[in-house]
Amino acid sequence: MSASERTVATEGTTAAPATSHTITLTINGAKKQVEVAPWTTLLDLLRESLHLTGAKKGCDHGQCGACTVLVDGKRVNSCLTLAIVKDGAEVTTIEGLSAGDALHPLQQAFIDHDAFQCGYCTPGQICSAEGLIREKRAKTADDVRELMSGNLCRCGAYSNIVAAIEEVMGACTRERDGRGNGQGRHAVGGGRGEER
Amino acid sequence: MSVSDLRLFEMRRPADLPDVCAVLAERVSRSEPTVLLAGGTDWLVEQETRPAFAKEAALPLVLDVSRLPALRGITLDGDRLRIGAAATYLDMRRDPAVLARAPMLERMGRDIGAIQIQARGTLGGNLATASPAADGVTALAAYDATLVVHSVRGERRIPFASLQTAYKRSTRAADEVIVAVEIDLPPAGSPWIWRKVGTRRAQSISKVALAGVAVREGDRLTRLGLGMASVAPVTALLSRVRTLATSRPLRDLTAADIDAAVDADVSPIDDIRSTRDYRAHCARSVVRAFLRDLGAPV
Ligand SMILES: Cc1cc2nc3c(=O)[nH]c(=O)nc-3n(C[C@H](O)[C@H](O)[C@H](O)COP(=O)(O)OP(=O)(O)OC[C@H]3O[C@@H](n4cnc5c(N)ncnc54)[C@H](O)[C@@H]3O)c2cc1C
Ligand code: FES
Ligand code: FES
Repeated sequence: MSASERTVATEGTTAAPATSHTITLTINGAKKQVEVAPWTTLLDLLRESLHLTGAKKGCDHGQCGACTVLVDGKRVNSCLTLAIVKDGAEVTTIEGLSAGDALHPLQQAFIDHDAFQCGYCTPGQICSAEGLIREKRAKTADDVRELMSGNLCRCGAYSNIVAAIEEVMGACTRERDGRGNGQGRHAVGGGRGEER
Repeated sequence: MSVSDLRLFEMRRPADLPDVCAVLAERVSRSEPTVLLAGGTDWLVEQETRPAFAKEAALPLVLDVSRLPALRGITLDGDRLRIGAAATYLDMRRDPAVLARAPMLERMGRDIGAIQIQARGTLGGNLATASPAADGVTALAAYDATLVVHSVRGERRIPFASLQTAYKRSTRAADEVIVAVEIDLPPAGSPWIWRKVGTRRAQSISKVALAGVAVREGDRLTRLGLGMASVAPVTALLSRVRTLATSRPLRDLTAADIDAAVDADVSPIDDIRSTRDYRAHCARSVVRAFLRDLGAPV
Protein backbone atom coordinates (compact mmCIF):
# COMPACT_ATOMS: atom_id res chain seq x y z
CA MET A 1 0.00 0.00 0.00
CA SER A 2 1.37 3.37 -0.89
CA ALA A 3 1.83 6.22 1.51
CA SER A 4 -0.80 8.24 -0.31
CA GLU A 5 -3.51 5.75 0.43
CA ARG A 6 -2.80 5.80 4.06
CA THR A 7 -1.51 9.18 5.02
CA VAL A 8 -3.78 11.21 7.12
CA ALA A 9 -6.26 13.55 5.64
CA THR A 10 -4.88 16.96 5.00
CA GLU A 11 -7.96 18.40 3.40
CA GLY A 12 -8.78 21.69 4.90
CA THR A 13 -5.76 23.50 5.93
CA THR A 14 -5.25 23.12 9.58
CA ALA A 15 -5.46 19.37 9.81
CA ALA A 16 -4.53 18.12 13.23
CA PRO A 17 -0.95 16.95 13.35
CA ALA A 18 -0.93 13.31 12.40
CA THR A 19 2.19 12.39 14.20
CA SER A 20 2.34 8.75 13.35
CA HIS A 21 1.80 6.60 10.30
CA THR A 22 2.02 2.85 9.92
CA ILE A 23 4.24 1.70 7.12
CA THR A 24 5.43 -1.72 6.03
CA LEU A 25 9.05 -2.39 5.21
CA THR A 26 10.84 -5.61 4.46
CA ILE A 27 14.03 -5.26 6.43
CA ASN A 28 16.77 -7.81 5.81
CA GLY A 29 14.15 -10.21 4.55
CA ALA A 30 11.65 -9.81 7.38
CA LYS A 31 8.42 -7.92 6.83
CA LYS A 32 7.79 -5.34 9.53
CA GLN A 33 5.03 -2.87 10.27
CA VAL A 34 6.42 0.20 11.92
CA GLU A 35 5.06 3.47 13.21
CA VAL A 36 6.85 6.51 11.88
CA ALA A 37 6.39 10.24 12.09
CA PRO A 38 6.42 12.00 8.70
CA TRP A 39 9.83 13.42 9.58
CA THR A 40 11.45 10.17 10.70
CA THR A 41 14.42 9.41 8.49
CA LEU A 42 15.11 5.85 7.44
CA LEU A 43 18.41 6.06 9.33
CA ASP A 44 16.76 7.06 12.60
CA LEU A 45 14.12 4.37 12.15
CA LEU A 46 16.79 1.71 11.62
CA ARG A 47 19.03 2.84 14.45
CA GLU A 48 16.66 4.17 17.10
CA SER A 49 13.53 2.05 16.66
CA LEU A 50 14.79 -1.18 15.11
CA HIS A 51 18.18 -1.16 16.83
CA LEU A 52 20.00 -1.92 13.62
CA THR A 53 22.98 0.24 14.42
CA GLY A 54 25.20 -0.97 11.58
CA ALA A 55 24.32 2.01 9.39
CA LYS A 56 26.15 4.98 10.88
CA LYS A 57 25.28 8.63 11.21
CA GLY A 58 28.33 10.50 10.02
CA CYS A 59 27.20 13.86 8.70
CA ASP A 60 23.40 13.55 8.53
CA HIS A 61 23.65 15.65 5.35
CA GLY A 62 24.23 13.22 2.50
CA GLN A 63 27.91 13.99 2.31
CA CYS A 64 29.72 11.03 3.85
CA GLY A 65 27.83 7.88 2.89
CA ALA A 66 28.22 6.24 6.33
CA CYS A 67 24.45 5.72 6.41
CA THR A 68 24.29 3.98 3.01
CA VAL A 69 21.82 1.09 2.88
CA LEU A 70 20.16 -0.70 -0.04
CA VAL A 71 16.54 0.18 -0.75
CA ASP A 72 14.99 -2.08 -3.38
CA GLY A 73 18.54 -3.05 -4.29
CA LYS A 74 19.72 0.53 -4.81
CA ARG A 75 22.08 2.33 -2.50
CA VAL A 76 20.66 5.34 -0.74
CA ASN A 77 21.76 7.73 1.96
CA SER A 78 19.31 6.73 4.67
CA CYS A 79 19.90 10.04 6.52
CA LEU A 80 18.31 11.94 3.60
CA THR A 81 15.47 9.47 3.12
CA LEU A 82 12.16 9.94 4.89
CA ALA A 83 10.99 6.48 5.98
CA ILE A 84 7.37 7.24 5.08
CA VAL A 85 8.32 7.76 1.43
CA LYS A 86 9.68 4.21 1.30
CA ASP A 87 6.49 2.47 2.47
CA GLY A 88 6.47 -0.99 0.92
CA ALA A 89 10.18 -1.05 0.10
CA GLU A 90 12.80 -3.69 0.76
CA VAL A 91 15.68 -2.48 2.86
CA THR A 92 18.99 -4.27 3.25
CA THR A 93 21.45 -3.10 5.87
CA ILE A 94 24.92 -4.36 6.69
CA GLU A 95 23.30 -6.70 9.23
CA GLY A 96 21.40 -8.39 6.39
CA LEU A 97 24.33 -8.94 4.05
CA SER A 98 25.97 -11.82 5.88
CA ALA A 99 24.27 -15.22 6.02
CA GLY A 100 24.41 -16.07 9.69
CA ASP A 101 28.05 -16.34 10.66
CA ALA A 102 29.22 -16.64 7.08
CA LEU A 103 30.61 -13.31 5.98
CA HIS A 104 29.49 -11.69 2.77
CA PRO A 105 32.33 -11.78 0.18
CA LEU A 106 32.75 -8.01 0.53
CA GLN A 107 33.08 -8.28 4.29
CA GLN A 108 35.76 -10.95 3.87
CA ALA A 109 37.54 -8.91 1.20
CA PHE A 110 37.56 -5.82 3.43
CA ILE A 111 39.26 -7.89 6.14
CA ASP A 112 41.71 -9.50 3.71
CA HIS A 113 42.69 -6.14 2.22
CA ASP A 114 42.81 -4.25 5.51
CA ALA A 115 40.25 -1.89 4.00
CA PHE A 116 39.46 0.00 7.19
CA GLN A 117 41.05 1.43 10.27
CA CYS A 118 38.43 2.72 12.74
CA GLY A 119 35.64 0.99 10.81
CA TYR A 120 33.08 3.78 11.16
CA CYS A 121 32.61 4.20 7.41
CA THR A 122 32.80 0.45 6.70
CA PRO A 123 29.10 -0.58 6.84
CA GLY A 124 28.31 2.24 4.42
CA GLN A 125 31.28 1.38 2.20
CA ILE A 126 30.22 -2.26 2.01
CA CYS A 127 26.54 -1.54 1.32
CA SER A 128 27.58 0.98 -1.30
CA ALA A 129 30.00 -1.51 -2.85
CA GLU A 130 27.25 -4.13 -2.95
CA GLY A 131 25.06 -1.61 -4.79
CA LEU A 132 27.90 -0.83 -7.17
CA ILE A 133 28.44 -4.51 -7.98
CA ARG A 134 24.73 -5.05 -8.56
CA GLU A 135 24.66 -2.05 -10.91
CA LYS A 136 27.31 -3.78 -13.07
CA ARG A 137 28.59 -0.45 -14.38
CA ALA A 138 32.07 -0.33 -12.93
CA LYS A 139 34.76 -1.87 -15.11
CA THR A 140 37.97 -0.26 -13.92
CA ALA A 141 39.51 0.96 -10.68
CA ASP A 142 38.73 4.50 -11.85
CA ASP A 143 35.07 3.57 -12.27
CA VAL A 144 35.09 2.15 -8.74
CA ARG A 145 36.62 5.37 -7.43
CA GLU A 146 34.01 7.50 -9.16
CA LEU A 147 31.06 5.30 -8.22
CA MET A 148 32.22 5.06 -4.60
CA SER A 149 32.91 8.79 -4.28
CA GLY A 150 29.84 9.26 -2.08
CA ASN A 151 31.50 7.21 0.66
CA LEU A 152 34.17 9.05 2.55
CA CYS A 153 36.78 7.45 4.80
CA ARG A 154 38.38 9.78 7.30
CA CYS A 155 41.02 7.14 8.03
CA GLY A 156 41.99 7.22 4.37
CA ALA A 157 41.75 3.51 3.63
CA TYR A 158 40.72 4.30 0.07
CA SER A 159 43.32 2.30 -1.85
CA ASN A 160 42.56 -0.83 0.14
CA ILE A 161 38.82 -0.26 -0.17
CA VAL A 162 39.17 -0.07 -3.96
CA ALA A 163 41.31 -3.22 -3.94
CA ALA A 164 38.75 -5.11 -1.84
CA ILE A 165 35.90 -4.08 -4.13
CA GLU A 166 37.89 -4.90 -7.24
CA GLU A 167 38.58 -8.37 -5.92
CA VAL A 168 34.90 -9.14 -5.39
CA MET A 169 33.95 -7.43 -8.64
CA GLY A 170 36.70 -9.41 -10.37
CA ALA A 171 35.10 -12.64 -9.26
CA CYS A 172 32.48 -11.77 -11.90
CA THR A 173 34.54 -9.84 -14.44
CA ARG A 174 38.16 -8.89 -14.20
CA GLU A 175 38.30 -6.45 -16.99
CA ARG A 176 40.92 -3.77 -16.73
CA ASP A 177 41.03 -2.03 -20.05
CA GLY A 178 42.65 1.08 -18.65
CA ARG A 179 39.81 3.27 -19.79
CA GLY A 180 38.65 5.66 -17.16
CA ASN A 181 37.38 9.03 -16.34
CA GLY A 182 40.29 10.23 -14.31
CA GLN A 183 41.41 12.81 -16.82
CA GLY A 184 40.28 15.78 -14.82
CA ARG A 185 37.07 17.64 -15.05
CA HIS A 186 37.66 19.63 -18.19
CA ALA A 187 35.34 17.99 -20.64
CA VAL A 188 34.93 19.32 -24.14
CA GLY A 189 32.74 17.55 -26.63
CA GLY A 190 31.96 17.57 -30.28
CA GLY A 191 34.71 15.58 -31.88
CA ARG A 192 37.38 16.63 -29.43
CA GLY A 193 38.76 14.22 -26.81
CA GLU A 194 35.35 13.60 -25.37
CA GLU A 195 35.37 12.04 -21.95
CA ARG A 196 32.91 9.25 -21.48
CA MET B 1 20.57 19.98 15.91
CA SER B 2 20.35 17.36 13.25
CA VAL B 3 17.97 16.21 10.60
CA SER B 4 16.63 13.73 13.15
CA ASP B 5 15.15 16.75 14.90
CA LEU B 6 13.25 17.92 11.83
CA ARG B 7 10.38 20.19 12.80
CA LEU B 8 6.84 18.94 12.47
CA PHE B 9 5.24 18.66 9.10
CA GLU B 10 2.56 16.61 7.43
CA MET B 11 3.23 14.48 4.40
CA ARG B 12 1.09 13.49 1.47
CA ARG B 13 1.59 11.83 -1.87
CA PRO B 14 -0.74 13.62 -4.29
CA ALA B 15 -2.62 11.63 -6.91
CA ASP B 16 -1.68 13.67 -9.94
CA LEU B 17 -0.55 17.07 -11.18
CA PRO B 18 -3.98 18.77 -10.95
CA ASP B 19 -4.14 17.59 -7.33
CA VAL B 20 -0.73 19.18 -6.59
CA CYS B 21 -1.75 22.43 -8.30
CA ALA B 22 -5.05 22.61 -6.43
CA VAL B 23 -3.54 21.96 -3.01
CA LEU B 24 -0.70 24.35 -3.70
CA ALA B 25 -2.99 27.15 -4.90
CA GLU B 26 -5.25 26.85 -1.91
CA ARG B 27 -2.48 26.74 0.63
CA VAL B 28 -0.41 29.50 -0.98
CA SER B 29 -3.47 31.76 -1.00
CA ARG B 30 -3.65 31.29 2.78
CA SER B 31 0.11 31.65 3.23
CA GLU B 32 0.34 28.11 4.54
CA PRO B 33 3.79 26.60 4.14
CA THR B 34 3.84 23.91 1.47
CA VAL B 35 6.79 22.03 0.10
CA LEU B 36 7.12 19.85 -2.98
CA LEU B 37 9.53 17.09 -2.13
CA ALA B 38 11.43 15.53 -5.04
CA GLY B 39 14.81 14.06 -4.07
CA GLY B 40 14.92 15.88 -0.75
CA THR B 41 18.65 16.51 -1.12
CA ASP B 42 18.26 20.25 -0.71
CA TRP B 43 15.16 20.45 1.45
CA LEU B 44 16.12 17.98 4.15
CA VAL B 45 19.51 19.57 4.57
CA GLU B 46 17.97 23.06 4.69
CA GLN B 47 15.73 22.16 7.62
CA GLU B 48 18.51 22.85 10.07
CA THR B 49 18.85 26.49 9.23
CA ARG B 50 15.25 27.33 8.48
CA PRO B 51 13.20 29.32 11.00
CA ALA B 52 11.08 27.08 13.20
CA PHE B 53 7.78 25.91 11.76
CA ALA B 54 6.29 26.32 15.21
CA LYS B 55 5.92 30.05 14.72
CA GLU B 56 3.95 29.48 11.56
CA ALA B 57 0.19 29.43 11.55
CA ALA B 58 -0.45 26.04 9.97
CA LEU B 59 1.37 22.76 9.98
CA PRO B 60 3.56 22.65 6.88
CA LEU B 61 2.48 20.18 4.25
CA VAL B 62 5.07 18.24 2.28
CA LEU B 63 3.82 16.84 -1.02
CA ASP B 64 5.89 13.97 -2.36
CA VAL B 65 6.14 14.65 -6.10
CA SER B 66 9.03 12.28 -6.71
CA ARG B 67 6.90 9.66 -8.41
CA LEU B 68 4.35 11.79 -10.24
CA PRO B 69 4.30 10.49 -13.83
CA ALA B 70 3.69 14.01 -15.18
CA LEU B 71 7.04 15.11 -13.73
CA ARG B 72 9.07 12.10 -14.78
CA GLY B 73 10.51 10.89 -18.03
CA ILE B 74 12.90 12.21 -20.64
CA THR B 75 11.70 12.49 -24.23
CA LEU B 76 13.24 13.60 -27.49
CA ASP B 77 10.92 14.99 -30.14
CA GLY B 78 12.90 16.07 -33.20
CA ASP B 79 15.45 18.51 -31.84
CA ARG B 80 13.54 19.24 -28.66
CA LEU B 81 14.54 17.46 -25.48
CA ARG B 82 12.10 17.45 -22.59
CA ILE B 83 13.28 16.43 -19.15
CA GLY B 84 10.75 15.90 -16.39
CA ALA B 85 11.37 18.06 -13.34
CA ALA B 86 11.48 14.96 -11.12
CA ALA B 87 13.84 12.99 -13.37
CA THR B 88 17.08 12.45 -11.46
CA TYR B 89 20.62 13.22 -12.51
CA LEU B 90 21.18 9.48 -12.74
CA ASP B 91 18.15 9.12 -15.05
CA MET B 92 19.79 11.77 -17.25
CA ARG B 93 23.20 10.12 -17.13
CA ARG B 94 21.71 6.84 -18.31
CA ASP B 95 19.29 8.20 -20.93
CA PRO B 96 20.19 7.36 -24.55
CA ALA B 97 18.75 10.64 -25.90
CA VAL B 98 20.75 12.68 -23.39
CA LEU B 99 23.91 10.71 -24.16
CA ALA B 100 23.47 11.14 -27.90
CA ARG B 101 22.16 14.68 -28.10
CA ALA B 102 22.95 16.52 -24.86
CA PRO B 103 26.24 15.00 -23.65
CA MET B 104 27.03 18.12 -21.64
CA LEU B 105 24.08 17.32 -19.35
CA GLU B 106 25.44 13.83 -18.76
CA ARG B 107 28.88 15.24 -17.97
CA MET B 108 27.41 17.83 -15.62
CA GLY B 109 25.36 15.14 -13.85
CA ARG B 110 28.52 13.22 -13.10
CA ASP B 111 29.83 16.19 -11.10
CA ILE B 112 26.74 16.52 -8.89
CA GLY B 113 27.66 15.32 -5.40
CA ALA B 114 28.21 11.61 -5.75
CA ILE B 115 26.17 8.68 -6.97
CA GLN B 116 23.81 8.60 -3.96
CA ILE B 117 22.94 12.27 -4.56
CA GLN B 118 22.68 11.82 -8.33
CA ALA B 119 20.20 9.00 -7.78
CA ARG B 120 17.90 11.37 -5.87
CA GLY B 121 18.55 14.96 -6.92
CA THR B 122 16.42 16.50 -9.67
CA LEU B 123 16.51 19.51 -11.98
CA GLY B 124 13.20 20.67 -10.48
CA GLY B 125 14.78 20.85 -7.04
CA ASN B 126 17.94 22.45 -8.38
CA LEU B 127 15.86 25.13 -10.16
CA ALA B 128 13.53 25.76 -7.22
CA THR B 129 16.33 26.11 -4.68
CA ALA B 130 17.82 28.55 -7.21
CA SER B 131 21.31 28.72 -5.76
CA PRO B 132 23.76 30.61 -7.99
CA ALA B 133 26.10 27.65 -7.40
CA ALA B 134 23.58 25.14 -8.80
CA ASP B 135 25.27 23.05 -11.46
CA GLY B 136 22.11 21.78 -13.18
CA VAL B 137 20.77 25.32 -13.53
CA THR B 138 24.12 26.38 -15.02
CA ALA B 139 23.88 23.69 -17.70
CA LEU B 140 20.28 24.69 -18.45
CA ALA B 141 21.39 28.32 -18.83
CA ALA B 142 23.87 27.30 -21.52
CA TYR B 143 21.14 25.43 -23.39
CA ASP B 144 18.82 28.46 -23.06
CA ALA B 145 16.26 26.01 -21.71
CA THR B 146 12.58 26.79 -21.18
CA LEU B 147 10.83 25.95 -17.93
CA VAL B 148 7.38 24.43 -18.20
CA VAL B 149 5.36 25.29 -15.11
CA HIS B 150 1.80 24.38 -14.13
CA SER B 151 -0.70 25.92 -11.76
CA VAL B 152 -4.49 26.10 -11.40
CA ARG B 153 -4.27 28.81 -14.09
CA GLY B 154 -2.83 26.31 -16.57
CA GLU B 155 0.54 25.89 -18.22
CA ARG B 156 3.13 28.62 -18.65
CA ARG B 157 6.55 28.62 -20.26
CA ILE B 158 9.41 30.63 -18.83
CA PRO B 159 12.45 31.16 -21.06
CA PHE B 160 15.62 30.85 -19.02
CA ALA B 161 16.64 34.45 -19.70
CA SER B 162 13.56 35.75 -17.91
CA LEU B 163 13.63 33.32 -15.01
CA GLN B 164 16.10 34.59 -12.44
CA THR B 165 15.64 38.05 -10.97
CA ALA B 166 17.87 38.24 -7.88
CA TYR B 167 19.62 35.96 -5.39
CA LYS B 168 17.33 32.91 -5.07
CA ARG B 169 14.44 34.88 -6.63
CA SER B 170 12.64 34.04 -9.82
CA THR B 171 9.63 34.92 -11.92
CA ARG B 172 7.98 31.60 -11.08
CA ALA B 173 4.98 32.13 -8.83
CA ALA B 174 4.76 30.37 -5.47
CA ASP B 175 1.88 28.19 -6.65
CA GLU B 176 3.55 27.13 -9.90
CA VAL B 177 4.92 23.59 -10.09
CA ILE B 178 7.94 23.01 -12.32
CA VAL B 179 6.84 20.20 -14.61
CA ALA B 180 9.70 19.94 -17.07
CA VAL B 181 12.47 21.76 -18.85
CA GLU B 182 12.65 21.87 -22.62
CA ILE B 183 15.79 22.36 -24.66
CA ASP B 184 16.06 23.18 -28.34
CA LEU B 185 19.13 21.12 -29.07
CA PRO B 186 22.04 22.09 -31.26
CA PRO B 187 22.83 19.57 -34.02
CA ALA B 188 24.27 16.25 -32.82
CA GLY B 189 28.03 16.43 -32.38
CA SER B 190 28.08 20.18 -31.69
CA PRO B 191 30.88 21.35 -29.40
CA TRP B 192 30.23 21.77 -25.69
CA ILE B 193 32.06 22.28 -22.45
CA TRP B 194 31.41 21.44 -18.83
CA ARG B 195 34.10 22.59 -16.45
CA LYS B 196 33.57 22.56 -12.69
CA VAL B 197 36.20 24.05 -10.43
CA GLY B 198 35.82 22.74 -6.90
CA THR B 199 37.95 21.58 -4.02
CA ARG B 200 37.67 17.94 -5.05
CA ARG B 201 36.04 15.86 -7.73
CA ALA B 202 33.04 14.64 -5.75
CA GLN B 203 30.79 16.18 -3.10
CA SER B 204 31.96 19.72 -3.68
CA ILE B 205 30.11 22.90 -4.48
CA SER B 206 31.39 24.85 -7.48
CA LYS B 207 33.83 27.67 -6.86
CA VAL B 208 33.17 28.37 -10.52
CA ALA B 209 31.53 26.19 -13.17
CA LEU B 210 31.20 26.87 -16.88
CA ALA B 211 28.65 25.23 -19.14
CA GLY B 212 28.81 25.96 -22.85
CA VAL B 213 27.25 24.81 -26.11
CA ALA B 214 28.11 26.14 -29.55
CA VAL B 215 27.29 25.75 -33.20
CA ARG B 216 30.13 26.62 -35.54
CA GLU B 217 29.89 27.34 -39.24
CA GLY B 218 33.30 27.81 -40.78
CA ASP B 219 35.08 30.44 -38.74
CA ARG B 220 31.94 31.77 -37.07
CA LEU B 221 29.78 30.77 -34.15
CA THR B 222 26.11 30.82 -35.11
CA ARG B 223 25.00 29.79 -31.64
CA LEU B 224 26.75 30.20 -28.34
CA GLY B 225 25.10 29.40 -25.06
CA LEU B 226 26.93 29.93 -21.80
CA GLY B 227 26.12 29.57 -18.13
CA MET B 228 28.42 30.16 -15.20
CA ALA B 229 27.93 29.19 -11.57
CA SER B 230 29.06 30.99 -8.41
CA VAL B 231 30.20 34.26 -9.97
CA ALA B 232 27.10 36.42 -9.47
CA PRO B 233 23.91 36.49 -7.35
CA VAL B 234 22.21 34.50 -10.12
CA THR B 235 23.53 32.06 -12.70
CA ALA B 236 25.58 34.20 -15.09
CA LEU B 237 24.51 34.03 -18.72
CA LEU B 238 27.70 35.82 -19.90
CA SER B 239 25.73 37.85 -22.40
CA ARG B 240 28.64 40.12 -23.35
CA VAL B 241 30.81 37.12 -24.09
CA ARG B 242 28.01 35.59 -26.14
CA THR B 243 27.59 38.81 -28.14
CA LEU B 244 31.31 39.29 -28.64
CA ALA B 245 32.05 35.76 -29.74
CA THR B 246 29.19 35.55 -32.24
CA SER B 247 29.80 39.03 -33.68
CA ARG B 248 33.03 38.31 -35.54
CA PRO B 249 35.06 35.47 -37.02
CA LEU B 250 36.72 33.33 -34.35
CA ARG B 251 40.17 34.30 -35.63
CA ASP B 252 39.45 37.93 -34.79
CA LEU B 253 38.80 37.24 -31.10
CA THR B 254 41.52 38.40 -28.73
CA ALA B 255 42.24 37.32 -25.19
CA ALA B 256 41.99 40.93 -24.02
CA ASP B 257 38.51 41.37 -25.51
CA ILE B 258 37.31 38.07 -24.07
CA ASP B 259 38.69 38.85 -20.62
CA ALA B 260 37.08 42.29 -20.64
CA ALA B 261 33.72 40.79 -21.59
CA VAL B 262 33.98 38.15 -18.86
CA ASP B 263 34.92 40.78 -16.28
CA ALA B 264 31.89 42.85 -17.25
CA ASP B 265 29.61 39.80 -17.10
CA VAL B 266 30.54 38.51 -13.63
CA SER B 267 30.57 39.97 -10.14
CA PRO B 268 32.18 37.34 -7.91
CA ILE B 269 32.51 37.68 -4.16
CA ASP B 270 34.75 36.37 -1.38
CA ASP B 271 33.06 33.63 0.59
CA ILE B 272 33.75 30.43 2.47
CA ARG B 273 34.53 28.55 -0.73
CA SER B 274 36.75 30.92 -2.65
CA THR B 275 37.86 34.48 -3.24
CA ARG B 276 36.65 37.12 -5.64
CA ASP B 277 40.03 37.27 -7.38
CA TYR B 278 40.41 33.53 -7.81
CA ARG B 279 36.87 33.25 -9.15
CA ALA B 280 37.45 36.09 -11.63
CA HIS B 281 40.67 34.41 -12.74
CA CYS B 282 38.95 31.05 -13.19
CA ALA B 283 36.05 32.67 -15.05
CA ARG B 284 38.39 34.24 -17.58
CA SER B 285 40.49 31.14 -18.08
CA VAL B 286 37.64 28.67 -18.56
CA VAL B 287 35.88 30.94 -21.06
CA ARG B 288 39.12 31.44 -22.98
CA ALA B 289 39.75 27.69 -22.91
CA PHE B 290 36.35 26.99 -24.47
CA LEU B 291 36.76 29.65 -27.16
CA ARG B 292 40.27 28.39 -27.85
CA ASP B 293 38.90 24.88 -28.33
CA LEU B 294 36.39 26.36 -30.75
CA GLY B 295 39.19 27.95 -32.79
CA ALA B 296 39.87 31.39 -31.35
CA PRO B 297 43.61 32.23 -31.28
CA VAL B 298 43.62 32.82 -27.53
C1 LIG C 1 25.91 15.86 -0.40
C2 LIG C 1 25.27 16.79 -1.41
C3 LIG C 1 25.97 17.16 -2.54
C4 LIG C 1 25.41 18.02 -3.46
N1 LIG C 1 26.14 18.36 -4.56
C5 LIG C 1 25.63 19.22 -5.46
C6 LIG C 1 26.39 19.60 -6.62
O1 LIG C 1 27.52 19.14 -6.82
N2 LIG C 1 25.82 20.50 -7.46
C7 LIG C 1 24.58 21.01 -7.27
O2 LIG C 1 24.13 21.81 -8.08
N3 LIG C 1 23.83 20.65 -6.20
C8 LIG C 1 24.33 19.78 -5.30
N4 LIG C 1 23.58 19.44 -4.19
C9 LIG C 1 22.27 20.05 -3.98
C10 LIG C 1 21.07 19.22 -4.48
O3 LIG C 1 21.39 17.86 -4.56
C11 LIG C 1 20.58 19.68 -5.85
O4 LIG C 1 20.25 21.04 -5.83
C12 LIG C 1 19.37 18.86 -6.35
O5 LIG C 1 19.17 19.13 -7.71
C13 LIG C 1 18.09 19.17 -5.58
O6 LIG C 1 17.05 18.37 -6.09
P1 LIG C 1 16.03 17.60 -5.14
O7 LIG C 1 15.09 16.89 -6.02
O8 LIG C 1 16.78 16.76 -4.16
O9 LIG C 1 15.35 18.81 -4.38
P2 LIG C 1 14.40 18.78 -3.08
O10 LIG C 1 15.25 18.85 -1.86
O11 LIG C 1 13.40 17.70 -3.18
O12 LIG C 1 13.67 20.17 -3.28
C14 LIG C 1 14.36 21.39 -3.18
C15 LIG C 1 13.38 22.54 -3.29
O13 LIG C 1 12.79 22.54 -4.57
C16 LIG C 1 11.39 22.51 -4.48
N5 LIG C 1 10.93 21.68 -5.61
C17 LIG C 1 11.32 20.42 -5.89
N6 LIG C 1 10.75 19.99 -7.03
C18 LIG C 1 9.96 21.00 -7.46
C19 LIG C 1 9.10 21.17 -8.60
N7 LIG C 1 8.92 20.20 -9.50
N8 LIG C 1 8.44 22.35 -8.73
C20 LIG C 1 8.62 23.35 -7.82
N9 LIG C 1 9.42 23.24 -6.74
C21 LIG C 1 10.08 22.09 -6.56
C22 LIG C 1 11.10 21.93 -3.12
O14 LIG C 1 9.86 22.34 -2.65
C23 LIG C 1 12.24 22.46 -2.30
O15 LIG C 1 11.95 23.74 -1.84
C24 LIG C 1 24.11 18.55 -3.25
C25 LIG C 1 23.38 18.16 -2.12
C26 LIG C 1 23.95 17.28 -1.20
C27 LIG C 1 23.16 16.88 0.01
S1 FES D 1 25.19 10.30 7.53
FE1 FES D 1 24.13 10.06 5.69
S2 FES D 1 25.57 10.68 4.24
FE2 FES D 1 26.58 11.13 6.10
S1 FES E 1 37.92 3.31 8.43
FE1 FES E 1 37.80 5.04 9.69
S2 FES E 1 36.54 6.33 8.48
FE2 FES E 1 36.94 4.74 7.14
